[in-house]
Amino acid sequence: MRWRDLDWFLVGTALLIAVIGVLEIHSATLGTKFAGVWVKQVYFLIAGVGLMLVVSRIDYKLILESSPWLYVVSVAGLGGVLVLGKAIFHSRRWIPIAGSHLQVSEFVKLVIIVVVARFCGAARLSLSWWDIGKVGALVGLPAALVLLEPDLGTALTYLPVAAVGLVLGGMRWRQFGILALAGLLMLPLAWHGLHPYQRERLIGFMQPQADPLGSGYQVLQSKIAVGAGGMWGQGMAQGSQIRGEFLPVPHTDFIFAAFAEEYGFVGALALLGLYLLLLLRLIANAQLAPDRAAGIVVMGVMAVLAFHVLVNVGMVVGLMPVTGIPLPLLSSGGSSLLFTFAALGLVMNVRLARFVN
Amino acid sequence: MKKAASPPPRYRLLTLQAALLVWALAVLARLFWLQVVDHGWLARRARLQQQHTVAVASRRGTIFDRNLTPLAMSLPVVSLYANPHQVAHPASEAAQLAPILGLDRADLTRSLASDRGFVWVARQIPANQARAAAALHLPGIFSQPATRRFYPKGELAASVLGYVGLDGHGLGGLERQFDAQLSGRSGRAVIEVDARGHAYSQIERPPVEGENLVLTLDQNIQYIAQQELDRTVRKTHARDGVAIVENPRTGAILALADSPSFNPDDFAHTPPARLGDPAVSSPYEPGSVFKLVTLSAALQRGLITPDEMINCQMGSIVVGGRLIHDHAQFGIISVTDILKHSSDVGAIKIGLKLGDQEFYHYIRAYGFGERTGIGLPGESAGIVWPLRDWLPMSIGAVSMGQEVAVTPIQVVAMASSLANGGVYHAPRILLSRFRGPRPAQPPVFVPAPGRRIVSPMVANEMKQMMAQVVLGGTGRWAQLDGYTAGGKTGTAQKVDPGKHAYSKRNYVASFVGFAPINDPAIVCLVVIDSPRGGHEGGQVAGPVFKAIAERVLPYLGVPHDVPLQVQPAPIRIAAADAVEESQPLGPPPAPAPPLALAPQPAGAEVVVSTGAPAGIALPNFQGQSVRAVTALCQRLGLALALQGSGVAQAQSPAAGTRLRRGATVVVRFAP
Repeated sequence: MRWRDLDWFLVGTALLIAVIGVLEIHSATLGTKFAGVWVKQVYFLIAGVGLMLVVSRIDYKLILESSPWLYVVSVAGLGGVLVLGKAIFHSRRWIPIAGSHLQVSEFVKLVIIVVVARFCGAARLSLSWWDIGKVGALVGLPAALVLLEPDLGTALTYLPVAAVGLVLGGMRWRQFGILALAGLLMLPLAWHGLHPYQRERLIGFMQPQADPLGSGYQVLQSKIAVGAGGMWGQGMAQGSQIRGEFLPVPHTDFIFAAFAEEYGFVGALALLGLYLLLLLRLIANAQLAPDRAAGIVVMGVMAVLAFHVLVNVGMVVGLMPVTGIPLPLLSSGGSSLLFTFAALGLVMNVRLARFVN
Repeated sequence: MKKAASPPPRYRLLTLQAALLVWALAVLARLFWLQVVDHGWLARRARLQQQHTVAVASRRGTIFDRNLTPLAMSLPVVSLYANPHQVAHPASEAAQLAPILGLDRADLTRSLASDRGFVWVARQIPANQARAAAALHLPGIFSQPATRRFYPKGELAASVLGYVGLDGHGLGGLERQFDAQLSGRSGRAVIEVDARGHAYSQIERPPVEGENLVLTLDQNIQYIAQQELDRTVRKTHARDGVAIVENPRTGAILALADSPSFNPDDFAHTPPARLGDPAVSSPYEPGSVFKLVTLSAALQRGLITPDEMINCQMGSIVVGGRLIHDHAQFGIISVTDILKHSSDVGAIKIGLKLGDQEFYHYIRAYGFGERTGIGLPGESAGIVWPLRDWLPMSIGAVSMGQEVAVTPIQVVAMASSLANGGVYHAPRILLSRFRGPRPAQPPVFVPAPGRRIVSPMVANEMKQMMAQVVLGGTGRWAQLDGYTAGGKTGTAQKVDPGKHAYSKRNYVASFVGFAPINDPAIVCLVVIDSPRGGHEGGQVAGPVFKAIAERVLPYLGVPHDVPLQVQPAPIRIAAADAVEESQPLGPPPAPAPPLALAPQPAGAEVVVSTGAPAGIALPNFQGQSVRAVTALCQRLGLALALQGSGVAQAQSPAAGTRLRRGATVVVRFAP
């Protein structure tokens, strides 16, 4: 294995987005108490690239084989977060490690990708309902633990992994249809299970004008910021919505709104184009995968990242309710960045493996 | 592990890829919609919540008297306003604000809940209230520095100064007449706010400071005129009264008092009828005072001489078929005596000598029938019928001051031209205007060029005849102690509006005079409308002239030209006002002592004689607002010298000191 065998296009695109992210974090936090967060982001970026290289060099077959153990450790970790985790922002997501707060659920995503890939990648022509149930349980248990933190957004990111695994693992479209229908019928039940603040977010999404200073505030301010950007944007560090702190958390979950205000439609289009390049490159990599499990690993990574991008951007532009999931590579936050690069390392790993046999 | 399965089916990957692209397109369309199609209103929406524009009031100019004592000034205050869009909980914010500001909670809640982007919460509140409100850090509530008009002398010259509405525009008097100059131009502030409602930057178009006015009024002379006029209006239960003091050499108005006056700080609670300035806006029939015009015109035309004997026909004359009765039966008397005793028949016969044409010419020459242009709003031209409307009997009526209506300011101007050797100066109340800091020296009044109406000799003859009026005629109540004086009385029946006839009950009693005879320093007109009891001009208005002149002339440093009968009482007499209240009508023997009227150097500590045991115990002003201190001093009858602004810090004399009325207290304020 040589350096040139790495997917430089993929790494380049990811690094470009991450650098844009650092710049935007710098711009969005200028003059606020978060000023200087961008430096931390650079450290995490370097650490992430290192992690990617490490992960890309471990044989993915070894990872797949040890996945049951990783799974057990992950579930135990999530349980530990629930018991020991520090309560921040109403939810227990973080475990303090070495002066930094690590979001365990981010890394569990990797394990779930691997576990689902191992299960669904086994040679079968089709999946029985029993198999589907097993995948559901496999993903459902950690998702439930994350939901208890409570962190609905991250729990939801586990679902596309399961979906991709099932679809690529041989599930019939009829089964997919029945599952989707069942999911829809479950929605009212899910509503009851939501926390009040989550319900408010949903109402705020449906009718942002109903209470512009309350739950609809973030959606409305985000839309105003994006709209104020116009075609060409207000320029770097010029976003008035950011300067006035109207835009909530402009360097994390709503960084795309901040970016869209400062660089306009043209900038947003370019950034989304980079994400699309990244995701399409991942799908292309999946097609080169040596076996089904490897393909599902790559597509699992793709699915998680795509879900993040679409839900986050959808939230920013008012197409989706506020779920509080970050925009990969762009949002400030070490866990998300480390996960993303580790996941890309996994993809690289699979890509390198195609030369093995 | 089992043998690895084949790679994922290609078509399923493509399906996922297609789904991804569909999503991307949806997001793209949405972005396009927000950023390109809806950009306009979303950007406006952003501006709306991030900034709002408020007018920054320019500092309204100060109005000074001729010695640069401020009569009207603007004090810094704060106005609170709200952007209801940013008020999340109107009820709770109103509950916190209302007690501090003394507002009604329900009203405030309603205005905070309105769907407008701007509402006033409280305008022109003291700084300490504004600070307390700001300390609550309520979102959507903002403060704006402003100024509030303040009249440090209270009611003094209120009708001249006028008053200013809440929006800072003059609504009466000079405040209205010179509103544009006083206002300056208000600036504009763009206040940018963040999500918590904190203003974080401010771009301003600086306001242009208003011009300051310097008046010809002298606050001390104004005070004397006001005080003496008020006393008589009160005592005679008159409807109202006017007193004007003018420097005849220049036309400068030294005092212009209307009684009853009003408090311009509190004009909202004053009946609108009292807010005007009758001295310039209310024409009245002058009565016998107008005989000055008749006689001076005839003298100037050489038709009569002061010693010429005229048959007054024992009190009756027929003019134009109308029989007119004199108020007394005079036989053959001199022209001087006609004026001295105010014979109507004599005046009519002199008027008949003049003829309509000549008489009309002189009436207009003295400025009757047109505005003097003094610079006060609502000035009336009076009524002088054009010649073609004169009936055969008109000259008889006009000769003795009927069928014409004049304003007090016109009469003062006419008498001043006689006192000034026959040269008319239009009366003026505005001395100068300036921008910027107060000059060290008071500006000097430059009179407009005058115009000659009668020769110096005629003017002198008139002055001598007018002296006779005061010495032994109808104006003997106006005889001054220590000064020679001349004048003319007027007692005009008012027209009863219901009956279209002269009233038997309501008179306008007036006296216009000057002193001293040689080189008059002041001309003073006193008009008392509808006095009860005595109604003759000499009897009612004469003593007011006397009281004013005897205090003003020494103040102006005019040397006595006849020996004083009564030595002025020592300055420290305390109960002067109480004694004067009970004075009977009639020639008063005791001249009022010039109480605390010497001009006081501004800002200096005032030495007050505290020899009298009685007096007002000075309260402790510490911690009180300018407004409260002023109100208290007004109630106690103390003059107040203000230093600085804000809250009272120090005072002189100390609290507890006993002071007589009219004494000056110096209070220093600091924010």
